Amino acid sequence: MALVEFRNVSRIYKVGDHEQKALDSVDLSLEKGKMVVILGPSGAGKSTLLNLLGGLDSPTSGTITVDGTDISTLGRDELAGYRAEKVGFVFQSYNLIPTLTVMENVALVREIAPDALNVMEMLDAVGLSDHAKKFPTELSGGEQQRVSIARALAKNPEILLCDEPTGALDSETGTVVLKVLMNMAKKYGKTIIIVTHNQNIAKVADVVVRVKNGRIRSVEEQAEPTPVEEVEW
Amino acid sequence: MLLRKLIRTMGRYRAQFISMVIMIALGVGTFVGFNVEWFSLERDVTEFLDDTGFADYRIIRETGFSEEDAAEIGAVDGVDAVSRVLTLKTLVSGTSDVLSLCVTENEKVSGVLVTSGESYDRDDGDGFWVSDRYAEANGVKIGDRVSLTYKDLTIEGTVRGLVKSGEYLICIPDETQLMPDYDTYGFAYASPAMVRRVLGAEFYTSLNVLSDLPKDEFTEKADRALGETLLIVSRDDTVSYSEAMGESKEGKTMALILPVLFLAIAVLTMVTTMHRLTASEKTQIGTLKSLGFTDRRILRHYSFYAGAVGLLGIVLGVGLGWWLGWFIMNPGGSMGTYLDMPSWKLSAPLYVWITLIVMELFLLLIGFLSVKSMLRGTAADALRPYTPKKVRSIILERTALWDKLGFGTKWNLRDVLRHKARSFMTLFGVIGCMVLIVAAMGMEDTMDEFMDSFYGEAINYETKINLDSETTDREGAREIAALYSGDTCASLSVQTGGRSVMLEIYNMTHDTVRFLDRKGNRVPIPDDGVLICERIARDDSLGEGDEMIFSPFGSDKEYRVRIRGVVRSLTESVIMSEEYADGIGLPFAVNAVYTGERDIARDSRILNTQSKQNVVDSFDTFMEIMTLMIWLLIAAAAILGVVVLYNLGVMSYTERYREMATLKVIGFRDGKIGRLLVGQNMMLTVLGIVIGIPAGIGVLKYLLVALASEYELKLALTWRTFAVSVALILGVSLLVSLMIARKNKKIDMVEALKGRD
Repeated sequence: MALVEFRNVSRIYKVGDHEQKALDSVDLSLEKGKMVVILGPSGAGKSTLLNLLGGLDSPTSGTITVDGTDISTLGRDELAGYRAEKVGFVFQSYNLIPTLTVMENVALVREIAPDALNVMEMLDAVGLSDHAKKFPTELSGGEQQRVSIARALAKNPEILLCDEPTGALDSETGTVVLKVLMNMAKKYGKTIIIVTHNQNIAKVADVVVRVKNGRIRSVEEQAEPTPVEEVEW
Repeated sequence: MLLRKLIRTMGRYRAQFISMVIMIALGVGTFVGFNVEWFSLERDVTEFLDDTGFADYRIIRETGFSEEDAAEIGAVDGVDAVSRVLTLKTLVSGTSDVLSLCVTENEKVSGVLVTSGESYDRDDGDGFWVSDRYAEANGVKIGDRVSLTYKDLTIEGTVRGLVKSGEYLICIPDETQLMPDYDTYGFAYASPAMVRRVLGAEFYTSLNVLSDLPKDEFTEKADRALGETLLIVSRDDTVSYSEAMGESKEGKTMALILPVLFLAIAVLTMVTTMHRLTASEKTQIGTLKSLGFTDRRILRHYSFYAGAVGLLGIVLGVGLGWWLGWFIMNPGGSMGTYLDMPSWKLSAPLYVWITLIVMELFLLLIGFLSVKSMLRGTAADALRPYTPKKVRSIILERTALWDKLGFGTKWNLRDVLRHKARSFMTLFGVIGCMVLIVAAMGMEDTMDEFMDSFYGEAINYETKINLDSETTDREGAREIAALYSGDTCASLSVQTGGRSVMLEIYNMTHDTVRFLDRKGNRVPIPDDGVLICERIARDDSLGEGDEMIFSPFGSDKEYRVRIRGVVRSLTESVIMSEEYADGIGLPFAVNAVYTGERDIARDSRILNTQSKQNVVDSFDTFMEIMTLMIWLLIAAAAILGVVVLYNLGVMSYTERYREMATLKVIGFRDGKIGRLLVGQNMMLTVLGIVIGIPAGIGVLKYLLVALASEYELKLALTWRTFAVSVALILGVSLLVSLMIARKNKKIDMVEALKGRD
């Protein structure tokens, strides 16, 4: 059975009297342990897809099943619980808590995730154990994003959801971050779903999902993904 | 177009807008209110006293003054007018009511203001001019026949008019009674013609004088004119004048403390809020700038916002202040039960208006400076969003304790220190709230303690019988005391340390009057010295074991006595036993008997009686007014607390919106995030309470000295005050925090976490 199943999922936003279909009857299933890239231009509906999968938003119609649970019917607190246990988020803008140190930002998840991993081990893995006591504002963009990855993984989630994780970074730093992300996913056996408009990132994926105008255009498996080091953008 | 934007901006930040307006209105309201109160009081009282010729000096001699004496004093340089005056405490026939009957030869001095009926006629041998308040309380009408008795004399006459008099501005029989009670006590005026008709002769025991001379100079000149040491009571020593001016002084004190607190909070709130507002409007400011609007135009735009907030707050505040002034200073209100005067016009001193203008300018300046800081640099700089200060680690983090703290506490502690202005304001608001409540409730506790020790413990009699000391000798007084199982007392005015105080000489066998020291212990009247009250002890720096010298009025003899104790007393007095008085050869005439009995039979030696119940009742009225004021203060404190905490809570919520959205995405439940928000407010609230309690006690101490030094109050605080104040503030803070915490359900995670530059 697939880890993620979208069945006839639509998400309609009401803006005044106007209805906007962000997702239109989407069917999609993704396997466990894969590196998935969701590709599409801005406004295609890829972030909506990610938000629904991450439990930040609920579909207008259809069902979304993750690891056997239908998350489209969960209540507020159950959704919070789902976010705490099953998914980890990495954002384009890092979203670290400015008043907590690097270590505390990662340790934060221990408050809510029952199977949280060792904090120092996580920081070690992203190569930031020397910066544990610094505040986010004292780090570079790439470093902040690595903290955010460590934080997402520390919860020990099934799926890592990344929304334009390299969007705010230069090419070189972006490569480092992407590499860290993939190494970590491999090491801890996580499914990674990356949303991006960057065609080059798609080269490293096991599965590439193309989205346009709220619909899935194609789902292709790449038997031999390009190693991260060889990708440029 | 900018104006439209301005109005929408106000709508967008309405929570801040409204709370700033409320804070300013509260500050201005208390400032204007108390200033209107004392200023109007002083003006209305002074006007009334001038209109009725309230005497500047009263020369008193029990044996009376002749026309020649009056002429001698009238001829003194600096004396504007003089009148021979007689005042008798008369009984209203058929009742136990006492009317103070006053006769003045010259109605320009210690005269009346007729509120209805005929004007005062010095040749009308049959006329009474009765206090309109007493008349109202007892159904006395113009044309009624009234019969008064004084000793064996019956004085009958017709009510010609209803009057008010400056001499009876505060109409109480003596200082043991705090508030007037027109049901049982009032005053009336009669003419010199009536005195001649009833007495068959002229007899006046007082010379009342209008003069601008200072007391020392007047005393010296008067003594020389009449060739003896005179008992002279200046207007400052009269109950009416000193108490009315005391009220005015209290208003001045209140006008200083409360408004400063409120206005300080208002201005600080304004500073932080305007800063936050312009910070969150920074990109808009940048947009306007890049569109080509001049700095000056933008500055004007935002300064206008601050100005509008200020103006609205000030206008509402002036309205509130006028209402507050009216609330205290109106004939049907609290002051009206105390003071009997005709005019209750409200007005404010000039500096109030000047202060308000300065304040408006200051608020404009705050708006101006907040925008100015956002406009610095180029249009591109201005367009960049406002970035708050960097986070630094705090000292506490270097201690072992830090690691033991939960993440929430760490988060909150750093946030508090990162947004110092906001945190300080919250703290200040809580402290202000606490100070108000502790001071207000502590004042009530203190008055309760005062009430308990004086009326519950010290006054152990039911009735005070005032004797006619001219016809009653010591044996006669003893007879009456024995008849009612009472104790005798002689009180006479003596001079000590350059002022007049009461000397009370007791023959105590029935424990009807007790003396208590500060700790509440009973102090027996010594047989080898005197007790003095706290005021004399304080003002003359005297204590147990010291010697003091006094001399009775009308006598040149000085007495040197040893002080054996300091006690609390309602009147400024020196206390000794009859035995001791005899021992030092001090002449005195017994003029009162204190007894536990209530029914006192008519007796020619008895002038009148005063029941403890009347005194207690009048005190209750006084306490009711006090309680009302206290509840007003507590309400003000609660409003202050809610407004400050809500405003800053919303500010904190807005500033941490993104952080909370992040926590939500990570998987924190709404409840847990809510608790974090509540936690920060509670942390500051607890700290505020810890600082607020001693600060409140400090303010209370200051208030007791400033407002009520004439009562020899002892600071008392009950556990109820602490419990209620702490519970109230924790409750208000929790309520406000929960109101804000509830908002976190509405956080739009997707929207909040969209990438930003």
